[in-house]
Amino acid sequence: MLQIPSDNLLIKKTLEELFESPTAVDRIVSDFDYTTYHISTPEEKTKLLISIQSKAFKDCAKYGALEKLKSVYAAYESPTIEPGYDFSLYLDLGSISGLEAQNEVIESISLLKRNMLAAPFDAAFEEYERLSAKHQETGVEPETRSSVYEINYRDEEAIYIQPSFDRVTVIFSTVFKDETDKIFGKVFLQEFVDARRRAVQNAPQVLYSHKEPPLEVRDMIKYSPDEKKGYITFVLFPRHLVPQKRDNTISHIQLFRSYFHYHIKCSKAYMHSRMRFRVNQYLKVLNRAKPENDEAVERKTATGRRFQER
Amino acid sequence: MSQSLRPYLSAVRSSLTAALCLEDFASQMAERHNKPEVETQKTLEALLNPMVIARNENEQILIESSINSVRVSIKIKQADDIEEILVHKFTRFLTGRAEHFFILRRAPIEGYDISFLITNFHAEKMLKHKLVDFIIEFMEDVDKEISEMKLFLNARARFVAEAYLTPFD
Amino acid sequence: MSYSSTPAVVMGIGTGLTKLGFAGNDAPSYVFPTAIATRSSGSGKPAAPAKPSFLGGSSTGAAQSSYLSSKRGTEDLDFFIGDEAIEASNTQAYSLSYPIRHGQIENWDHMERFWKNSIFKYLRCEPEDHYFLLTEPPLNAPENREHTAEIMFESFNCAGLYIAVQAVLALAASWTSSKVVDRSLTGTVIDSGDGVTHVIPVAEGYVIGSAIKNIPLAGRDITIFIQSLLRDRGEADTSLRTAEKIKQQFCYVCPDIVKEFNKFDREPEKFAQYIVETARSKKVVDVGYERFLAPEIFFSPEIASPDFLTPLPVVVDHVIQACPIDVRKGLYRNIVLSGGSTMFKDFGRRLQRDIKQIVNTRITQSERLSSAKSSGVDVEVISHRRQRNAVWFGGSLLAQTSEFQSYCHTKADYDEYGPNIVRNFSLFSVP
Repeated sequence: MLQIPSDNLLIKKTLEELFESPTAVDRIVSDFDYTTYHISTPEEKTKLLISIQSKAFKDCAKYGALEKLKSVYAAYESPTIEPGYDFSLYLDLGSISGLEAQNEVIESISLLKRNMLAAPFDAAFEEYERLSAKHQETGVEPETRSSVYEINYRDEEAIYIQPSFDRVTVIFSTVFKDETDKIFGKVFLQEFVDARRRAVQNAPQVLYSHKEPPLEVRDMIKYSPDEKKGYITFVLFPRHLVPQKRDNTISHIQLFRSYFHYHIKCSKAYMHSRMRFRVNQYLKVLNRAKPENDEAVERKTATGRRFQER
Repeated sequence: MSQSLRPYLSAVRSSLTAALCLEDFASQMAERHNKPEVETQKTLEALLNPMVIARNENEQILIESSINSVRVSIKIKQADDIEEILVHKFTRFLTGRAEHFFILRRAPIEGYDISFLITNFHAEKMLKHKLVDFIIEFMEDVDKEISEMKLFLNARARFVAEAYLTPFD
Repeated sequence: MSYSSTPAVVMGIGTGLTKLGFAGNDAPSYVFPTAIATRSSGSGKPAAPAKPSFLGGSSTGAAQSSYLSSKRGTEDLDFFIGDEAIEASNTQAYSLSYPIRHGQIENWDHMERFWKNSIFKYLRCEPEDHYFLLTEPPLNAPENREHTAEIMFESFNCAGLYIAVQAVLALAASWTSSKVVDRSLTGTVIDSGDGVTHVIPVAEGYVIGSAIKNIPLAGRDITIFIQSLLRDRGEADTSLRTAEKIKQQFCYVCPDIVKEFNKFDREPEKFAQYIVETARSKKVVDVGYERFLAPEIFFSPEIASPDFLTPLPVVVDHVIQACPIDVRKGLYRNIVLSGGSTMFKDFGRRLQRDIKQIVNTRITQSERLSSAKSSGVDVEVISHRRQRNAVWFGGSLLAQTSEFQSYCHTKADYDEYGPNIVRNFSLFSVP
């Protein structure tokens, strides 16, 4: 697996099974970044309640996540939100017939988290459009210091989005809990920075700073130099923000952290397998030092009889 | 193999071969004990002068010999913090499997990355020159392995970065 | 700490099937074969000193431009696990392997990748945020635990780890049964999966290793036995699949074979029919005596297997008799079933009756010889609804308790003390 998909495989699978044969369920499903789903049938087998709870929801709601979810899932919105959760869907399995319609529903629900986290991006991209239109009209550069959207999606990590008239800047702050991760992470991030220059010219510009938060967000963060913290800045240019690419960009960029940490872990796993191989090699060399003819010599008496009865 | 590596390794080889003249030696401190004297450091007359062979300040080998045991400690080249963490990971991985390695010491001597302890019992069970071969091969390979891992890490990072950035296009 | 809000991950990885899911659920979210399909070219040594390999290929799901994947050293990302692995192995490019043999992990490289995909692709969780509960077979070597911890903590940085013995979890799962009054961790676990059946005595949470017995009869043997019966009769469809379906749908355990034979002859409605529907045709397979004969191989193994002749109840009795005398009563009182092959109707009841018979014979004999009155021994076989995934369910039950995290070793502990920390886990107490 190279890319991390946006949809939740387990939700997909669960819903597919439930469409096939509705049963009473009460299940918890998890997703990245402290997101938990709850799929249950509080009333009867075909009436499904799907709730999502996420650490990022509070911040996303500031930028219209609730409205976004309501518009995407208008048909299935639950009148009441399940206590302890942030948003609930109510699905009547019986009312959706036809494989195609079912698959469509499944697909859209498996993207629940993606859609939630997309709201602030959507808002920022719209603001970018406003600013850019204004710029075209007036020809003067508008005040670049526009608002920064802040999403605290993990305990010590956040996403900051700053729209401007000619770009949208997305900044991830990230924390390495482990020393190895920190060093591996640095190597990876350096390559992210260089990749654009070398191979993928049309990609967003990537900047990386260790410890020091970038200027855009400096005043938002209670600045404390933290060894383990790093900031990755993606500068999205208008070419990434055109309407036909927008959704793709959002889906892709919001999984950056998961992707990044996933690959750090993958390379550690690869290192492990290399080391296992190397250990076996060394053992082979060492075992060569053991004389082989340990038991080969068969001792016999002078008359040719063996010591042991066989 | 670079120019300075060959003399370094051959110096290590001959010193090790000389140091591996081991014989059984009962402990002078406790009756019916038989301990590697180089570890206990109690019977001074059974200890020989330790020796350091250095290629440069980052690559050194310390050979401490005694009448019945030799302790060999190796300092592995670490040019930057990536190599440092890789060496650390690798030596930890090795010492975690020390019981398969017989002569590997579970903890390195202070200031070194990995230590071996060869006692007279090892030398009796195993062929001496092959033990030396093992240590030499280890020293040769470990540098290669670390730099290969580093190369891999860079290659992987590049690959991952490009793979991430391409779909934006 | 936000850990409390994320559900713990419960992974039961067995020889045949892997069960993955989140604590608090009543069933595993994924059940798939413990199989991994890797690129055939790299199947030998994925860790071979990096030779430029141009066989990277495009990775799972992501249709990457080929110039990216043609770079070296990415074949370790190119693999499938579970059902997808079986599917992928049909193509020439991938070769299938099973990283676990006889309950023990054989290929750590494959296992590590198997876990990687399980966590990131299937369960979609960041291991740094979750606690993990893994299961291990009885008598697992402590080195294996250490290697597992090395992977879980060093590669994945998982927040916390608990490794539990399968049999103990199966005991915990039996607490859901109404028959269980005291929630003790003493009992005999009969764990019968696809390949082998284990009888494992557990005293106060600790496995009595010396007394464990394995029976080389399990689900697969039953299926093969049914298949041979079908073949003997010359049924229309005698595939293994059909036999398995018949096993799952029709089989039950009878109290007495001879009587059951008579019953079948008297009441023809006992004979059932299984219909095999394929796209082209519809075949009807008659289901006859195998309905009760198939599970009978546990009780009268001579009907199916020429080499193993001890009936299951006798094995259970032997196992308990091999244990210290002070725990035997507890072991008889709490015989717990686990695994798919113990799901036959009335399996527990028959087992209980047979064991009771053995025990009673022994008691009467000893009473006759010693002329002292015995206080009697209770024999109770516990059968419950979660039996099929008992081990996983027990894990889920344990991992959802609020105390669970305090039993785990955390990443910080591991960094402090090293891998040998996982040699010991404190036993979970009864909630």
